[in-house]
Formats: sequence, C-alpha cells, structure tokens
Amino acid sequence: MNDEILRVENLHITFTTSAGEVKALNGVSFGVKRGEVLGIAGESGSGKSTAMLSVMGLTGEYGHVHADKMTFMGEELTPERVKVLRGKNISMIFQDPMTSLNPVLSVGYQLEEALKRHHWEGSIRERVIDILTKVGIVPAEQRMRDYPHEFSGGQRQRIMTAMSIACNPELLIADEPTTALDVTVQAQILKLLRELRSSSGMSMILITHDLGVIAGEADRVIVMYGGKIMEEGTVREIFNEAHHPYTVGLLRSVPKADGSHERLIPIEGQPPDLLNPPKGCPFVKRCPKAMKICLSQQPEPSTLSETHKYSCWLGVKN
Amino acid sequence: MLEVTDLTKYFETPSGKLHACEGVSLNINKGETLGLVGESGCGKTTTGRTIIRLYEPDEGRIIFDGHDITHITQHEMLPFRKKMQMIFQDPYASLNPRMTAGDIIREPMIIHRLPKDEHTDRVNHLLKLVGLNSEQAGRYPHEFSGGQRQRIGIARALAAEPEMIICDEPISALDVSIQAQIVNILEDLQKSLGLTYLFVAHDLSMVRHISTRVAVMYLGNIVETAESDELYTHPLHPYTVSLLSSVPIPDPDKSAARQIIPLKGEIPSAVNPPKGCKFHTRCPNAKPECSSLKPELEDKGSNHFCACPFV
Repeated sequence: MNDEILRVENLHITFTTSAGEVKALNGVSFGVKRGEVLGIAGESGSGKSTAMLSVMGLTGEYGHVHADKMTFMGEELTPERVKVLRGKNISMIFQDPMTSLNPVLSVGYQLEEALKRHHWEGSIRERVIDILTKVGIVPAEQRMRDYPHEFSGGQRQRIMTAMSIACNPELLIADEPTTALDVTVQAQILKLLRELRSSSGMSMILITHDLGVIAGEADRVIVMYGGKIMEEGTVREIFNEAHHPYTVGLLRSVPKADGSHERLIPIEGQPPDLLNPPKGCPFVKRCPKAMKICLSQQPEPSTLSETHKYSCWLGVKN
Repeated sequence: MLEVTDLTKYFETPSGKLHACEGVSLNINKGETLGLVGESGCGKTTTGRTIIRLYEPDEGRIIFDGHDITHITQHEMLPFRKKMQMIFQDPYASLNPRMTAGDIIREPMIIHRLPKDEHTDRVNHLLKLVGLNSEQAGRYPHEFSGGQRQRIGIARALAAEPEMIICDEPISALDVSIQAQIVNILEDLQKSLGLTYLFVAHDLSMVRHISTRVAVMYLGNIVETAESDELYTHPLHPYTVSLLSSVPIPDPDKSAARQIIPLKGEIPSAVNPPKGCKFHTRCPNAKPECSSLKPELEDKGSNHFCACPFV
C-alpha cells in the first residue's frame, strides 16, 4: 500500500529483567496511512506503549527488538535512520507533561533546542513564537521565557504538543496525551490536536486506555492484550461489531452512554503475567468463551472485512 | 445519616490562604450513594477528608448519626471512626508494604477492640466477601495486582463494621476491565450490608452509574446537586453543562453528534479565587453582576439545587 507512511511487520520485543525474560510484544503488525488517526487501545502492560517506543528506537539496552519489517515512508527504520527521523519526521507526546519537560530550562529554550537539533531553516525565534501561539500559549514572546512550573498541567501539555509539531512531522505518536488531565482540559487538548492535523495533514497514533477518547478521535483502532493484537478495524467496526471476547468485554465493562444503571459486566480475573505468559491466547485465563485449543495454540487472525480482523479460535472455527 | 453545613477548610501556604473547600453543605441519607465530582483542585478530596476528621475543619458543622463531630477530640472520634471508614485512591500507597494482607485487614479490629477470638474468622470472611481467598491472607501487598490490592483496601474498610464509607477515587488507578469488578463489589456490599457511600471521583460516567445523587464542585464550592439521572440529563449550572459535554462517549456515532461546550482559560488559583461567583471568569453566560454576587444553592424543583441565579 503506497499511502501507508508506517509499516511494521511481526514485531517482537523482549526485555531482560532480573526476574527473567519479559515478552512485551509478541508478533505485532500494523500500518498507518497518511492523514489517518490510528487508535491503540489496551490496558497497562498490553504492550501499546512499548510498540511505539520500539518504532522510535527508544526501548533501551535491555529491550531486544526483532521485526520482519519496519518502514517509514518506504524506507527501512534502521537504528541510524531512526536517529535522523526522530523528533523531526516522527515525534512523540508523552503522558506526563511535567516529567517530559526540563524544569530548569525555559520552555522557549527547550523549543529552540528541538529546532536547532533538526537544523530548522529560518528564524528559530520566530518559529518558537509561531508554534506557541498556535497551541494557545499567549503572549508567546513573554511566556517563552517562563519555566515549566509556571504553567498549569494543560498548558504544559500544550507546550509538549508545540515541541512535537515544531518540525512539521509526518507522524505524531501521542502516548496517553490526556490521561493526566481533567476532562475539560482533555477536551481542549484533543481539539488542538484535531486542528493541527487538519491544517498539516499529519498522521497520528493515539495510545489510550480511554475508550471514549478512541471513539471520538480514531479512524481505525487496534485492540491489544498481553503483547498481541486481539482485534483491529475501523472505529465503527470495533465499537459496533466487536468480535473478540476481550473487545466485547472491554466495551461492556464501561457504563453505557445512556446512563442506564444496569449492572456492569466486568472481565473477571487479573491482568496477564508477562513473565509467564500462557502458551496459547494471552486472554485465555479471563475469556468467558475459552476452549481447550486456546490454552495451547495461538490463533491466526480471521478476516471479517478488508479492514476488520480478529485473533480468536472462535473465528477460525466459523 | 450525615449532615454537613457550611464546611470550610483553609490551608496556609507561603502565598496565602488556600480555600480548599468553602461553605460546603451536603447531606447523605442512610443506604444511598452521594457522588462528589469535580476537577483536580476543586476540593472534593479535602471535603471527604475533613468529614472524617483527617483534616480539622475551620468552620461549619458535621453531624454524623445525630452527633456533632465537628470539634470532638481524636479520642472521642474513635467510636465514629468505627462507623465511618475510608477507601483511598492509590492501592499501592495506602497499604503498608511490610504487613501481610491478613494483618492489614486485622488492624482495624484491634484498634476498635473487636473480640479477639473472632479476628481470624473475620479476616477470612472479609477476604471472601471482596472476592479473594483466605489462603491469600499471608501474602504481602506486592504479591497482588492493583485490583486485588484495592479489594484488600475495601476489606480493611469493612473490618470495623462501618455504616458509612468515604470512597476517595477508589477506581481511578485501575484498568478499565478491573474498574467494573470493584464497582460491582461496592454495589453488592451496599446492598447486603446497607452501607452508605460518599463516592469522590472525577470519572463522571462511573459516578452516574453508582450514585443516587451527585454534587458538583468547582473551586471549593458545590455548584449543583441533583438526583444522578436528573443531573446528567438536565444539568443547569453552566459549569456542569460544560463539564458533562466534555466527557468522552465510548460510541463513535454519539461522539460525533454531540457538541462540546469548551471552557475558556485555566482554572483560577484557589489562593486568590475570583470575587463573586467563582466561575464567572470562565462562564460562557457571565453577566456583569456575576463578579459581585455570591450565588447560593437554590431549589430549582424536583430536588435539584443549583448555585446560579440565571438558570
């Protein structure tokens, strides 16, 4: 597919820890098209952040990455290549805007640093003022001299956003960008990201555990569990025609939008232990429809439509 | 069961008095759940903690079960603590890592002098009640997942046989699929033990689900209270309207159809709150007089109270 700007095939990541090998990702494949918003939903430890860190080459010395293929705009993402692209063509917003900014440098300095690092052509100062204004930090000439602690949480996330779009990236990876924020501030940041996308045409990968945010922002959705993709499809396919028992369970465990006080249907059991993952499907221990085969073998994805796939033995059987 | 009138709590900070909660009045009937919602810094946690006297109230009255507990000593408070317990937000920080689950649950029984020979049976019973098993009593907190730890926190709160529990963001640190487990446990316990809850949270859709009535706080004041469904379907106060419009809806079609009413600017500092109605600096319908008048909660019919004279 030519309009795909990012393609990842069969990605595996293992971390070496004192307790043993942790298999954070186990054969994950996905792509992002130009201008599209790909939502990645999943719980803590599902591997959603790790997958993105590996695309950015940020898994560290204990993370062992292996993929059959990882390309960005048709070019292979080698460690050397990533260093050039990172921050310029692919950039990232992290969850916690306080720990992602350096507390002893003014925000203007930190933005200038990013632009210098990527050899911005033209006036760096003007660009800083321009992007700060764009994200609503005004008056920018004055506020660029302030330090991170002089801003509120929402403003800091605006500054992080400004930094990530400073070099006009083709792909923005937003890892839980609004999780630490209040709902009214969250609405402001999501609106800002939407405006930035429509003016620049950049693609976005939005990682979040909040199904509401995914429903509102994403074009396509990947649902992850225990280091594997359970289901993927367009946002409507996932929310209206979910097939995987995990996706179904996840959607049932949040209160309905109409406010009915029906009893919630939780997914029983506890999150998987990645040190000792089940041999078969990672969801098998919590799955209400688990069969014998699920314990021993991982299912291949079954295709429901051109965009909708899910990995479950129920699908294989049908 | 609980009647709070004009509760006020200030904190001294280097930059001045911080008005954490100011003139908060609320009452909770036996067996019901009052949801207390609002954004970070609005004073909802302070309100909860002042009610249970973890903070000393500066003004106002707290009547629990017909007794004025506003200014009694911590020693006199002990029998009321037995009846009023608390569940905390962070299941990692609120359990002593060097005590076993069993000892954590047993501690309130020792403090409140429950008959000693019943302790072990009761620990086992409570573990079962929250969906754990008695073999797990000897394990330490780090051996449990977040959801399981929150279950231990609930068992501990139940150990003293309370009548009321203040739940301070009990599910915000948990994964979505685990949140529903904990909410169901809280609902089951309420039914079987006749418990009363003050449920402090910022997850508005979960609060609607669990609460009988809901109170909305902004900068230390309660701006609106109503029956849960009434509040969510007919919000009156401009802050509530905006807050509810910002809640993400887990449904792509409904999400696309709705209109978000954004709030202007940033939340003002609680050290120097705006004069008059505290919300007037961000209110889409603000009028000139809003900067001088002090709105009180007014009855707008069908048990719906709102602190805005213009709705």
